[in-house]
Amino acid sequence: MRKHNQYSEYSNWQVSALVILRVLIGWHFLYEGVVKVLNPHWSAAGFLNASQGPFANLFKGMASNSGVLEVINFCNQWGLVLIGLSLIVGLLSRWASIGGMVLLFLYYISNPPFIGIEASAVAEGSYLIVNKNLIELFSLLVLYLFPTGNIIGLNRLFASRK
Amino acid sequence: MEEKKSNGMSRRDTIKALATLPVLGYFGYAYNANLLKIEEAKAQDYLERLKIDKIEVSEEKLSPPTGNSGNRIRFGVVGNGWRGEQLLKSLGYVHPDYVEDSSENGIPDKGMQKFLDQEDLNVEFAAVCDTFEVHTRRGVEISANDLRPFGKKRDPKPAKVFSSYKEMIASDDIDAIIIATADHTHAQIAIEAAKAGKHIYLEKPMTHSIEEAVELRKVIKDTGVVFQLGHQNRQQMSFKIANELYEKGVFGDVSMVQVYTNRNTDFGAWIRDDAFDHKLGNKDNINWEEFLGNVPLCEFDRKKYFSWQRYSEFGTSITGNDLSHQFECMNQVLKLGIPETVVALGGQYYYKHHGDMPDVFNAVFNYPERGLTMTYDGNLKNDAYRPSRILGSAGTVDVDRAILMYKDSHSDRYKDIILDPSDPFYYYAPDDDVDAISSATSQVYMKGGYGPTTIDGKTVEATLLHLKEWVDAIRGQGKPSCDIEAGFEEAVTFNLANLAYEHKKVVTWDKVNEKAIIG
Repeated sequence: MRKHNQYSEYSNWQVSALVILRVLIGWHFLYEGVVKVLNPHWSAAGFLNASQGPFANLFKGMASNSGVLEVINFCNQWGLVLIGLSLIVGLLSRWASIGGMVLLFLYYISNPPFIGIEASAVAEGSYLIVNKNLIELFSLLVLYLFPTGNIIGLNRLFASRK
Repeated sequence: MEEKKSNGMSRRDTIKALATLPVLGYFGYAYNANLLKIEEAKAQDYLERLKIDKIEVSEEKLSPPTGNSGNRIRFGVVGNGWRGEQLLKSLGYVHPDYVEDSSENGIPDKGMQKFLDQEDLNVEFAAVCDTFEVHTRRGVEISANDLRPFGKKRDPKPAKVFSSYKEMIASDDIDAIIIATADHTHAQIAIEAAKAGKHIYLEKPMTHSIEEAVELRKVIKDTGVVFQLGHQNRQQMSFKIANELYEKGVFGDVSMVQVYTNRNTDFGAWIRDDAFDHKLGNKDNINWEEFLGNVPLCEFDRKKYFSWQRYSEFGTSITGNDLSHQFECMNQVLKLGIPETVVALGGQYYYKHHGDMPDVFNAVFNYPERGLTMTYDGNLKNDAYRPSRILGSAGTVDVDRAILMYKDSHSDRYKDIILDPSDPFYYYAPDDDVDAISSATSQVYMKGGYGPTTIDGKTVEATLLHLKEWVDAIRGQGKPSCDIEAGFEEAVTFNLANLAYEHKKVVTWDKVNEKAIIG
């Protein structure tokens, strides 16, 4: 017989799997962010300049304007850190999932593995249309639709007060 | 039913709410541990990494000037072509045209300022001899130009013109001679000059044949004149450092050396039809017989005269022109000496309208006693840059003006050093303030091995240092680094390759009788 969690319709196994997925993605975001925040020389310029595909000019344009680039660098670094933290601790993680999806979408379309576009230097594997950014993006969509912050996570503190 | 606290939370709620927080703690720990490890690797002293105490040649000082009012050296130039003029510039003499082109409103440009700041070697350009009147005249104009490093010379005395090198050598007007003629005349001029007691700076390659090299070495040794072969890369700090690193075992056992010529232009293929003054040359202003030297008399041929490098009766092929440089650098680093056997193949497939020089050329030089081979790829139809590469059991090393070493992933010497194999293990570049391991994004610095070098914190033209070394040695200070022995190894090595190419046979060096054995 299925053992259900008292706060949700998920089984304990389902909760565990979702929380683990949430924490793993959170870890990934947090580490990417922290590395960039703590490296004074880091800039998105290299990534943006390597952009290919239909939006390449837009991204390259961003890299060419130092003011815009500074804003992008700041938002990206701290966006990654905050999304990562939020996913790990389970606080406002639905919002974090949306934020993460936005970032991943931008990464995806800046270097999309579309038909006829050569693998960029930024990619570490072989991809066609589907790449890891896209998979992580849809994983976050799953986390958004199946939130667990109220079950295992700081959100539970607020949820309990209701 | 769980007991609720006053804020409406059970202990179970709290645990569940905080359940993933330990992940953050572990994240912090892992991050720190990882960062420390990376930082540690980065901060590791490169000497410690290379497992040596220090790099001594990096501390080398520029030797102080040796000239004074009593020891001015008078030199004559035979062959005042483009290379002759470059040498003159290092010796403190430039053409008035250069002065005009290199300054605007009396303000010298960067190159000119460097010339004005360079060391005055206290030498006098006393005589000039060239088979082309235009070159002779330019030589005189250069000698009479009063703009010299460190201010103007009061009474510039025009160089004396000699119509034959023999007369110049025989005269008392010079103490030393600079030979920058076509390759086929190097030996005869140098031998006669040495016999007349003149000190010699001879442009590379040393000689047109092995027999000439044997004879020249004997004469230089017998006469005791100061001899320097014009491989100015002897002065490049990168090769000095590479030599020290090699001798200290940093590269491990060297099993292979790869050297290259990468060119893809007519000029790069030594076709000089379009050089600035060559249109001026004709039968009347070129002393063709003097140019021919020991070559049997033949009809005047302007193409042959100006692009002599491409004709085997005058030039020494792609090997004498360029392999000689690459080999000399590797000989400096690894003390290769003369190979035991040489094979060479290739052909003249592209630049067929000038001479008989191959433009696609491969040679293998075997050094059984050293347990290594050197390969040479000479290509005049592709200019993809390939620096000289040393393959050692401890690492792979690219050397030109810079050094870029990658650790071998199976190196015993460095097995304790964890490093991504694609990351440079050691990097040296001139103009940088220190030798250090860098991310080596700057492969661009590596290109071009013949420019200035860094010594004693200063950037100095390698050619100037090379001439200075020769001039100082004439004055009894130190000795030339590219001496007759080094020159002998250079001349024999590339001539062996030329013989192998010409005869399409393996050529063996008989070191006892100092002869090439063909087949």
